[in-house]
Amino acid sequence: MFATRSEYDRGVNTFSPEGRLFQVEYAIEAIKLGSTAIAIKTKEGVVLAVEKRATSPLMDSSSLEKIAEIDAHIGCAVSGLTADAWTMVEHGRAECQNHYFTYNEPMPVLSCTSSLCDLAMSFAGEGEKRMSRPFGVALLVGGKDDDGYHLVHTDPSGTAMQYKAKAIGSGSEGAQTALQEEYREDLTLKEAETLALKTLKAVMEEKVNVTNVDVARIAPNYVKYSDPEIQEIIDRL
Amino acid sequence: MSVNLDLSFLHDTERGAASTKYRDEALQGVSNSVHASNFTAPAVEDFDAFQREVINYVKPAHGTTTLGFIFEHGIVIAVDSRASQGPYISSQTVKKVIEINPFLLGTMAGGAADCQFWQRNLGIQCRLHELENGKRITVRAASKLLANTLYSYKGRGLSMGTMIAGWDLNGPGLYYVDSEGTRLKGQRFSVGSGSLFAYGVLDQGYRWDLSVKEACELGRRAIYHATFRDAFSGGTVSVYHVGKNGWTKVTGDDVGELHFHYYPSEKIDEDSLGGLGKKEAEERAAAEATAMET
Amino acid sequence: MFDAREDALAGARQHANWSPYDNNGGTVLAVAGESYVICAGDTRMSSGYNILTRKFEKIDKMSGKTLMASAGFAADAVTLKKTLKARCKQYEFQNKREIGCVAFAQMLSNTLYYRRFFPYYAFNIVAGLDAEGKGAVFTYDAVGSYERTNYSCQGSGQALIMPVLDNQLKTVSPLVLPAASSATPLSEQEAIDLIKDCFATAAERDIYTGDSVELWIMNAEGVRKEEMALRAD
Repeated sequence: MFATRSEYDRGVNTFSPEGRLFQVEYAIEAIKLGSTAIAIKTKEGVVLAVEKRATSPLMDSSSLEKIAEIDAHIGCAVSGLTADAWTMVEHGRAECQNHYFTYNEPMPVLSCTSSLCDLAMSFAGEGEKRMSRPFGVALLVGGKDDDGYHLVHTDPSGTAMQYKAKAIGSGSEGAQTALQEEYREDLTLKEAETLALKTLKAVMEEKVNVTNVDVARIAPNYVKYSDPEIQEIIDRL
Repeated sequence: MSVNLDLSFLHDTERGAASTKYRDEALQGVSNSVHASNFTAPAVEDFDAFQREVINYVKPAHGTTTLGFIFEHGIVIAVDSRASQGPYISSQTVKKVIEINPFLLGTMAGGAADCQFWQRNLGIQCRLHELENGKRITVRAASKLLANTLYSYKGRGLSMGTMIAGWDLNGPGLYYVDSEGTRLKGQRFSVGSGSLFAYGVLDQGYRWDLSVKEACELGRRAIYHATFRDAFSGGTVSVYHVGKNGWTKVTGDDVGELHFHYYPSEKIDEDSLGGLGKKEAEERAAAEATAMET
Repeated sequence: MFDAREDALAGARQHANWSPYDNNGGTVLAVAGESYVICAGDTRMSSGYNILTRKFEKIDKMSGKTLMASAGFAADAVTLKKTLKARCKQYEFQNKREIGCVAFAQMLSNTLYYRRFFPYYAFNIVAGLDAEGKGAVFTYDAVGSYERTNYSCQGSGQALIMPVLDNQLKTVSPLVLPAASSATPLSEQEAIDLIKDCFATAAERDIYTGDSVELWIMNAEGVRKEEMALRAD
């Protein structure tokens, strides 16, 4: 894939003669090493589900946080470098509060994701706060606003795409195919929960249990599922 | 040679710029100095003299009675609703209790704009704290955030006397914070031009073991009497109760109606009975008094 | 580069009595109904005892559902509206929709407050239709404290007109519990007549109000304008 690799892959601000930005492409590759995250949009809400890969049995899996609330009406699932993800999440939170402070209304979901993309692109900018490299993280942002539910995928290149269902991370290829086969416009939220965990289960190496997955919904407010609630979905599989 | 367009007036809503500031603030968890860059300063040598001149021109809305006290079953907050600009009553329907979140209330006395703006600002700071720490901010921390903000503007002419009341893991909390930078933890406060009148009633009627109903009535009565003697207080009396499940608004009464609740005797004046006998008038007043109770 | 601050400082040194403010007088008013909102203002602009112009419009359309009227210092009011219009455009580009009147109201409050230490000497009213199509009036002080009401009057005729509006339109305070409906009881035409009467009355007794009154009437169909002559003396 990277046959044309050359000295052009070292700077983030230089195109290769073929017109590619290798560092950005490598950052997108970094996400494929991350744990799998799945999001499904229905008419009743958006479901987010992530795999939590503990690298050691001695690790406390509760410290692996890959789903976050951005505001009451927006949540996101992440894959890739988690530390980068938190910088973006905190940016999103600040943007939402700033919008609320200025306009006394919740921030539209697409405004929030485009501001996240502005941040993702900031490695190309100037100034003290400039990031020296692209963010190595992809986000699945789910949210509700006046236009209804949205599911947006953002990647290190600063591109935001809207999806009905999307998988990112190491198991994304298999999961995306599965989602494509199983997705229906008339899915209920409950069916989406099941589909998300079923798809996750298929691409995970370990057996699914309450400690190695996290689930959240935005319907219409962000709610993270408790262990018994996750267990209930697992029991439905 | 390049042409420089002055777009600085656009900056505080510009997404990138404002948000970086807010993010810094969020990450540091303190300081509102970020706002300083948004504020336009007058180009004058004597800032204080200029502010005195400005006050004469713009006459910001002022005047209030507010009170808050902790008792056995939580906190009661009671306020009036009048705003005046000089002798002119600019509003009788000001919302002086600011609902920061379902567990935190702020009261406003002093400059209406100062209170509205900084308590909204406190609201988003509390929300960011909540998102980052996964739990609600304590009353202690919230009041300190506000006090720090106000202290950073000390000497610039802000005018605020507020109470921050709420329920957190330590139980009920009540703080007084003002624009001089004062921050006091306490059990009973009254703030504003009518506070002395309210204190008189409040201190006289206060007991630790008041029932919720008695406490709300005490708050309402104290504010009512303040509106009766302080020309800058009036409108409606709003009473809030803060318990372990958050706050609720308990009563909202027009002062004009409350007057006949507290002084029904005026209606029994023989000369102004309007065809009613004394007995009927007393009965009517008593019936109205019962109806007012909530 | 030209440094405005340095220049103004030099000005301050040279003219000890110089003030950045003037009062150009004028009265603005707005009334909200169940499905309409009316924003009105006289068109006189004065300075001291001189009438500078008889055709100065104090009302502007800020977005599809938002009108804004300002009395006080005309230069500040014009600058403020210009700034806000730019921000409305910016909002449209960022959020891919037109700004609503509730969002605009908050933005104006913040804009005024960011000039807390060097205020815009302007007294504003925002009139619009909210997300439900109901009339909304927001009334401000010069440094950004604001409140949603059903009617408001600002400017030199405020003390003459507000008591009349209170007398005709006052409803139960929104702070009273149990909550009661506080919508203005008048029909659109009744409200228009009342507003015209108010201005005619104010023009009799306020030297800064007169010449003509413009009414902007906004409802589900759109915005239309009416004008009525007032005393010109």
